[in-house]
Amino acid sequence: MTKSTCRDTFVIHKKKLQNDYYSLVLGPLRKINHCQPGHFIHLQVPHTDVMFRRAFSIASIFPEQNALEIIFKVVGRMTRQMSTLKTGDTVNILYPLGKSFTLPRKSETSIMVAGGVGFPPLMFLTEHMMKRGYDPKTIHFFYGGRTSADILCRSRLKRTGVLFHPVTEDGSFGRQGLVTEPIEEFIKFRKKDKLRLYACGPEGMLKAANNLGLQYHIPGQLSLEAPMPCGIGVCLGCVVPLTAGGYARVCAEGPVFEVGEVVL
Amino acid sequence: MTPDLKVTIAGVEFANPIMTASGCCGYGEELHRVFPLKTLGALVTKSITLHPRSGHPVPRTAETASGMLNAIGLANVGVDAFIKDKLPFLEDKQTRVIVNVAGSKIQEYVDVCARLEDCPPVDMVELNISCPNVDEGGMEFGSNAALTEKTIASVKKVFTKPLIAKLSPNVTDIVEIARAAEQGGAEVLSLINSVVGAAIDINTWQPKLTNNKGGLTGPAIKPIALAKVDAVYNACTVPIIGIGGITCAADVVEFMLCGATAVQVGTALFIEPDVPVKIVKDLKTYLKQKGLASVANLRGKVRKY
Repeated sequence: MTKSTCRDTFVIHKKKLQNDYYSLVLGPLRKINHCQPGHFIHLQVPHTDVMFRRAFSIASIFPEQNALEIIFKVVGRMTRQMSTLKTGDTVNILYPLGKSFTLPRKSETSIMVAGGVGFPPLMFLTEHMMKRGYDPKTIHFFYGGRTSADILCRSRLKRTGVLFHPVTEDGSFGRQGLVTEPIEEFIKFRKKDKLRLYACGPEGMLKAANNLGLQYHIPGQLSLEAPMPCGIGVCLGCVVPLTAGGYARVCAEGPVFEVGEVVL
Repeated sequence: MTPDLKVTIAGVEFANPIMTASGCCGYGEELHRVFPLKTLGALVTKSITLHPRSGHPVPRTAETASGMLNAIGLANVGVDAFIKDKLPFLEDKQTRVIVNVAGSKIQEYVDVCARLEDCPPVDMVELNISCPNVDEGGMEFGSNAALTEKTIASVKKVFTKPLIAKLSPNVTDIVEIARAAEQGGAEVLSLINSVVGAAIDINTWQPKLTNNKGGLTGPAIKPIALAKVDAVYNACTVPIIGIGGITCAADVVEFMLCGATAVQVGTALFIEPDVPVKIVKDLKTYLKQKGLASVANLRGKVRKY
């Protein structure tokens, strides 16, 4: 298991994306290459009324700047504080944490299932695969949101050359409906191919993705979200029931789990 | 001159008075990835029971003002797996090992401690007679003086190393329980365990924990803990380990002035996992500034009005 570091670092760049979504680039940080897609950080903003840390998936790393990026949506006290951070402000992070994604075989076709704020780790995975020489045409990036405003970093995704399939519930961008609907059609259409699923998003979406994997016998991984007091596996607050019985810690055995491994 | 941080409790010497609190450091492996465990005076493990327990369904924790509620439900691997799979890791970490033990019957405490008796890495056992989060046992033992004495006396028959009784603040008179623990043969008292509390979601009208109530920890409970340590220090003769909301060296000093020989850091590890490193360093600086040769010089020196 990777050694984790707890340290003060700085906001290098903050950008408002759209709606209530922000991107934060943090650094400098040592051993940034130890951060793999699926890993997360546990972040604290010092001198605020929010005492406990919050977990954020790593959205990308910038090895030349020794920096990493997280993307978040303002939903509560902590994220509101984070949205007011400025370049040069200090934050404290614990990184890298958790278990990362397992890369697919190059002969496989990857189906990315991203929903809302579940998008960042899958973008990291996609960009990481591009750097490793994967054919972008073997990656189908399904990205669902409530409205057009929930679909982030579109040009960045398109630049990778992957096949981008946006889906919105209100039809304001891409296809109308739930993201898992076109995925099922895709799976039926491509059932002769070797497929692999990667999903991160709201619980309902994860459940649907997990069921698709089980139903069509497609291997894959899900990245889960859970409130985490410690983030390093000591408090046992973030557990998820396992199909085989008992619980697993989302922060330590996860956040990445195999399709069928957890009870959603 | 570098101030001396060493403390001796029940004949066991500790490199410094900073310990982790049970339930906040697992079995040590995870924390060792963040800082070397030898920084600590002792590591106090998660509560160990006779049989493995998976704990309560989630949500098990909820953030509150200056603290948190938890109802993990004593999730642990059970004593046999602990001895086989977890304890070997702690053998060469150059820190004292205190195993926290919980049970739902006196016999269960006895059985677990009997198994720990022959484990050389175990320096002491801390009896959790004060867990607020299980239906039977736990706090029940620690809120009844006669039961406290009987539990400890029964364990003493099979466990010869020093025994710590961890006391609950959720009692009418903690001094009565402390005296009973001492009477039963506890060589050390640790206090306080978490304070029973609740929090409700106003949208769903459901409690924020599936256990409906939980144990409050963190800075919110520090003043309660200090008052209890002070009360017990004035009534008992055995050494005290202070617990409750400690996040910095200043907090440690407060507890020691009230009579604690050592302290345990719990919830603060979730906020700053390497906080013991900082506490040890700052404690040294404080002693130097005050011209004190040893941390032991602080014990019970509160200058009351």
